[in-house]
Amino acid sequence: MQISVLVALTLLVLIAFGFLTGRRRALSVRAQGGPRLHSLPNYYGYYIALWTGGPALVLLAAYGAFGSGLVNTLAMSQLEREAAPLIAEFERQLDADAQIIALLEEAAEADADAMEAREAITRARDSGLDPQAFQGALAGHTTRLTEIGARLDQRRGEIARSVAARAPSSDAGIRARSGFEFWNSPRERRELFLADARAIAFGEGLASRNTPELRAAALAMRPVEDIFRWSVAALVLSMAVGGLAWGRSRVKASFRARNRVEAAISGLLMFASIIAILTTLGIVFSLLFESLRFFASIGWRVGDFLFGLQWSPQIAIRADQIGQSGAFGAAPLFAGTALITVIAMSVAVPVGLFSAIYMSEYASKRVRAVAKPILEVLAGVPTVVYGFFALLTVGPFLRDFALFLGYEDAVTQSALSAGLVMGVMIIPFVSSLSDDVINAVPQSLRDGAYAMGATKSETIRHVVLPAALPGIVGAVLLGVSRAIGETMIVVMAAGQGANLTANPLESVTTITVQIVTLLTGDQEFDSSKTLAAFALGLVLFVLTLMLNIIALRVVQRFRERYE
Amino acid sequence: MNRPASIRTAVEARLARRHRAERRFQFYGAAAICLAVAFLALLIGSILIQSVPAMTTWRMTLQVELDRAAIDPRGDMSEASLRRGGYNAAIQQALRDQFPDVEDRAELRELFGLYSSVNAARLLNRVVQDPSLVGGTVSFTFPIDDDADLYLKGVSVRESRAPGPAPVRIQAGEGRAVTLSAEARVFDAFVDDVREAARERARILEQRAERAEAALADAIDRDIRAIYEAEARRARAQAERLRDRLDEGAPVVIGPQIPSLLVQVDGAVIRVSDVSADRRSARGEMVISAPLGEAAHSDWTLWTIETPQAGRLISDRQIAWVDALRERGMTRSGFNTELFTYADSREPELAGVLGALIGSVLTMFVTMLLAVPIGVGAAIYLEEFAPKNRITQLIEVNINNLAAVPSIVFGLLGLAVFINTFGLPRSAPLVGGIVLALMTLPTVIISSRAALKAVPPSIREAALGVGASKTQAVFHHVLPLAAPGILTGSIIGLAQALGETAPLLMIGMVAFIADAPSLGLAGFTEPSTVMPVQIFLWSSAAERAFEARTAAAILVLLTLMVSLNAAAIYLRRRFERRW
Amino acid sequence: MAYDAQPAPATVYHPAPAGMNIKVAASDLSVRYGGALALDRVAMDIPDRSVTACIGPSGCGKSTFLRCINRMNDTIETARVSGSIRIDGEEVNDRSIDPVLLRARVGMVFQKPNPFPKSIYENVAYGPRIHGLAASKDELDAIVETSLTKAGLWKEVADRLHQPGTSLSGGQQQRLVIARAIAVNPEVILMDEPCSALDPIATARIEELIDELRENYALIIVTHSMAQAARVSQMTAFFHLGALVEYGPTEEIFTNPRDQRTQDYITGRFG
Ligand SMILES: Nc1ncnc2c1ncn2[C@@H]1O[C@H](COP(=O)(O)OP(=O)(O)OP(=O)(O)O)[C@@H](O)[C@H]1O
Ligand SMILES: [Mg+2]
Repeated sequence: MQISVLVALTLLVLIAFGFLTGRRRALSVRAQGGPRLHSLPNYYGYYIALWTGGPALVLLAAYGAFGSGLVNTLAMSQLEREAAPLIAEFERQLDADAQIIALLEEAAEADADAMEAREAITRARDSGLDPQAFQGALAGHTTRLTEIGARLDQRRGEIARSVAARAPSSDAGIRARSGFEFWNSPRERRELFLADARAIAFGEGLASRNTPELRAAALAMRPVEDIFRWSVAALVLSMAVGGLAWGRSRVKASFRARNRVEAAISGLLMFASIIAILTTLGIVFSLLFESLRFFASIGWRVGDFLFGLQWSPQIAIRADQIGQSGAFGAAPLFAGTALITVIAMSVAVPVGLFSAIYMSEYASKRVRAVAKPILEVLAGVPTVVYGFFALLTVGPFLRDFALFLGYEDAVTQSALSAGLVMGVMIIPFVSSLSDDVINAVPQSLRDGAYAMGATKSETIRHVVLPAALPGIVGAVLLGVSRAIGETMIVVMAAGQGANLTANPLESVTTITVQIVTLLTGDQEFDSSKTLAAFALGLVLFVLTLMLNIIALRVVQRFRERYE
Repeated sequence: MNRPASIRTAVEARLARRHRAERRFQFYGAAAICLAVAFLALLIGSILIQSVPAMTTWRMTLQVELDRAAIDPRGDMSEASLRRGGYNAAIQQALRDQFPDVEDRAELRELFGLYSSVNAARLLNRVVQDPSLVGGTVSFTFPIDDDADLYLKGVSVRESRAPGPAPVRIQAGEGRAVTLSAEARVFDAFVDDVREAARERARILEQRAERAEAALADAIDRDIRAIYEAEARRARAQAERLRDRLDEGAPVVIGPQIPSLLVQVDGAVIRVSDVSADRRSARGEMVISAPLGEAAHSDWTLWTIETPQAGRLISDRQIAWVDALRERGMTRSGFNTELFTYADSREPELAGVLGALIGSVLTMFVTMLLAVPIGVGAAIYLEEFAPKNRITQLIEVNINNLAAVPSIVFGLLGLAVFINTFGLPRSAPLVGGIVLALMTLPTVIISSRAALKAVPPSIREAALGVGASKTQAVFHHVLPLAAPGILTGSIIGLAQALGETAPLLMIGMVAFIADAPSLGLAGFTEPSTVMPVQIFLWSSAAERAFEARTAAAILVLLTLMVSLNAAAIYLRRRFERRW
Repeated sequence: MAYDAQPAPATVYHPAPAGMNIKVAASDLSVRYGGALALDRVAMDIPDRSVTACIGPSGCGKSTFLRCINRMNDTIETARVSGSIRIDGEEVNDRSIDPVLLRARVGMVFQKPNPFPKSIYENVAYGPRIHGLAASKDELDAIVETSLTKAGLWKEVADRLHQPGTSLSGGQQQRLVIARAIAVNPEVILMDEPCSALDPIATARIEELIDELRENYALIIVTHSMAQAARVSQMTAFFHLGALVEYGPTEEIFTNPRDQRTQDYITGRFG
């Protein structure tokens, strides 16, 4: 750590020195009465400072981002190589272990049973029967699978421990054990292992454990890290000095320092605007990549995913063990999303639109000055707050009301309460966009209607709204895209049940809720469950992107027409 | 063309109707606005009301004896030794001293349930800081258990007290068992209340059974019929059982489903376990004992706890103890400072928002550091430098679309790219800040561009006219004029990010984190949480006391956001310039 | 009010040709926008079945005057109208007068054609529809046809009645809004620079149309073209800085202006 601080400080000094040199050289050229300087002296300073700092900083940043990862990989792969005999032994025992073979067979059987039960459910549904009995059976198979998974893990752990115990307690033996432990850990444990080892080696934070294996890993990391640090430090400083010398050699009176500096600045600015594109690309590629992996893991049955009626992503056992037994039919999620969106929009559109109309056509300045900020506040309230409101105020109220009306199965977490509250959240969105659009309708159209003897409401209904319609449609579409992508309200207030229902008093689940559910459990990253979240994310992204593009187009057209 | 005089009549004939339609339409508009305002009022109002119980907290003060041997086990007064001392045992002993007759293990557990053992760590810290306390007695104040706290606030338990209507004689039995007997039917009122409540409940059950039977008659599907049948049968059976209990001749046994009855007499508290059929005598046990003579007591209190034990998390005994502690002046209510000075905890009374606040500050710092320079840079490029070609058009469309991408998608991006590909730490403000920065970037760019656009071209022309380069014109003349607008937009973007939850769930900021992250460089990579996520976590916690704390945390968050937005509005007003 | 104390601006009146009915009569008519006085105590009598032209430099209050007659100024929040304006002796500014009814009786055509975002047919049918002037679809069809015919547009659009009104050319659009205005059969038609957005041929057609409409209506038009005023109007009013400077038969105003300002304006010395 200290050495990187030292390097950074030296670099800063060098940059400052570069700047001063450039300036001084330029000034001295002028003082000697040489030819006229092309640029102001400061620009020569900036130019040299750029050459001094730029490449060196880029290198330093790259080291900061990837350095420790590289060190970890190098050190641990060395240890893993040393652990090769242990690993071979472990795999041999694993293959030969009677218990594991039996468990794997059992698991395959349970998996097949689960598949069968799921098919039976689909068949029952198709033929209009009640699938409840099969659902019970499915749940049974799933618990069995989970149990088998746990037993498998346990047995593997036992074997791993017995294998590790065979290594001698010499230094080399512990190094091998360390490599073996790392090799045998699932992904998130590896992270923890590395973090702990680094903590011991370099005092970065507190280690959660302190075992001989960790100490061995720490010892292995230290020399690699040292080599890296020193070589990077040397490289950075030589790049800085080299840059300084190069920049200095170019400073002459006729040198167009300002243009160079300005080109660098606009390059930087361009890079800033490209980040937006990079973000989009990052989203598209990460979603696509993980989704493809998901589809591969369910055997490319994309149709089943998009149109399947059953959503029950079971606790997946490690992918390398047995085939996946979760059911990833996302239709109930789409239906739930649609139901909530419809409810939300049926609150947001009338209220938002009428608010906008009142605000732009009827309200006096004073009313506008009060009402507009209030609507803006409604837009600024964080969605968790809406979720809390839906969960603790609206949900119980609606349930009690439904009970009062004699509907016995009312629940607190229902599509209705989530939808209503989401509608409230979207009101300001619809109203402010519609307000803009209505205000953009030229006054001459209104004058025309008034001059015909139309009343105000006739003018609005017959002339202003038809003229503003495309823009309002755009606003509503953007609102729909908001509703589809909204997460916290539904996570908190819509419940979890993947019900395929149109009854707003039941609890439903949505795309976003399932993404959260799938990714907030203790999952490792590669299970079908987490990958499924990315597939859902892709659907969500494509859906909202289409809505946005259409909406923005429509609004754009509208503006072009009247501006 | 002839001019019919009827024009006027034709128009006038419809005029009243048209004006009515006009008024109706205007009413709809006003109603829509009122509805929106009412929603907001309801939202804020309900949160304010819900947060009230979290504003204060009840604390207990005990005189804890710090026995040298127990606190300093090695006997060398070193810090290591002091850290191994039995602080919890010392607190337990102090509490036990208050109620010496509690001996049973289960009862002791109940008694110690009045506070959380986490408090011992605070006592430890105090002793470590001031070792001279060892061997003496310290007065130690700590928040009382959340269920007791709610009881003391009168939120969770309904109770009533009435003076004993006639003298009662108390006979001590085996152990702490006692028998109460009186000449008059002193338990009349209580038994009547219990019976009334049972009758009401039986009635409701029967109604439900009837409804299920009615539905049964309509249902055709076999499985659905089975469900209704079971429902009806269950309700009938339950009602039956209740009705049996209503039988006048039977004694009333006080179970967890019906209100509890305590009797206070001469400093003793008796928990009644059953009332005889004649309503004159009852049996029970002493919860807090005091010497009671053989003589009849005329000054006694019937203390009914109407919320049945099954409906609350604090037991009859705990209620009696807490009440006694209050009587003895050992509990006191005060402003809930723990809410602001503690990080998260599993114990509601020790849970605060400090950790989340620090997490939010760190996260916002990263967001600001990334989103503002990059956003402003991009805006300057697009507005001032970019050639108007297909690529810049693409960037523009892209930014507009990015602004409408659901926030959760940014979370997925963060998870896949920053955590899984770049290996940055999970749950850390660093990653949270990066993700939120990408999310706010479009907002910052769009508002900065608007601010730049608002600077009239004449300024640029003037600068270019005196020989400045384009870069100089932009940085020396345009940017300073656009700065207030840019700042305002950036603050609004940050406020948005401050309230964002969903993307942070994706990158693991939902973990339970009991320590506040350090407010330094290391804090950026430590696991932490942020305000909105803390709200989410608390809102799904099971303990009732978290409900009020969630509402209070929401108020803290809203206050933060309001002050940010107010700053933005102030800046806009202060520096606004119309061209 | 403060300006009550000042003498009313002197207006030069020429004797009107005999035998004309007075349709619109303004007296002491003032309009303020916020603090600014846009129309200063105007008094004039406008005859029926004739064309009255309002001329004057930009910003002198011509449009404002026109908008007083059908109370369009009500739609501007800051506008305050005082004084009197009468149609057939009936006070327009009276509270009891419903602007809806008034505007049904007084049609208006604007500088820029502003057809509604509806079909040609619906544009013309709009007035009769909202006022309930047609009892049946056939009647409505008849009204649309006669109005379009009168506006000289029928031949051009008869086969495309259900295309959007905005699909017509500028001149056609202007005739469409004239047809829309006469479809309710008003008593007075106001035209605010109806030809300023049109080419000479379209202008000529509109002028022809105005001349035909004179048979049945009282027309008041604002124009910046002296020639147009001379061609189409019988009466001319010259406004300057919110005041009515000179008013009389067009011939006399153009051949024998009595006020120096009028003379300067019509000879193009300012404005
Ligand atoms: N809505 C308004 N608010 C404030 N002032 C206005 C408004 N409309 C017009 N005015 C002012 O009233 C005065 C008269 O305007 P008016 O539109 O009547 O002029 P005009 O004679 O029609 O001019 P032009 O020939 O350019 O159309 C002008 O000074 C104008 O600035
Ligand atoms: Mg005008």
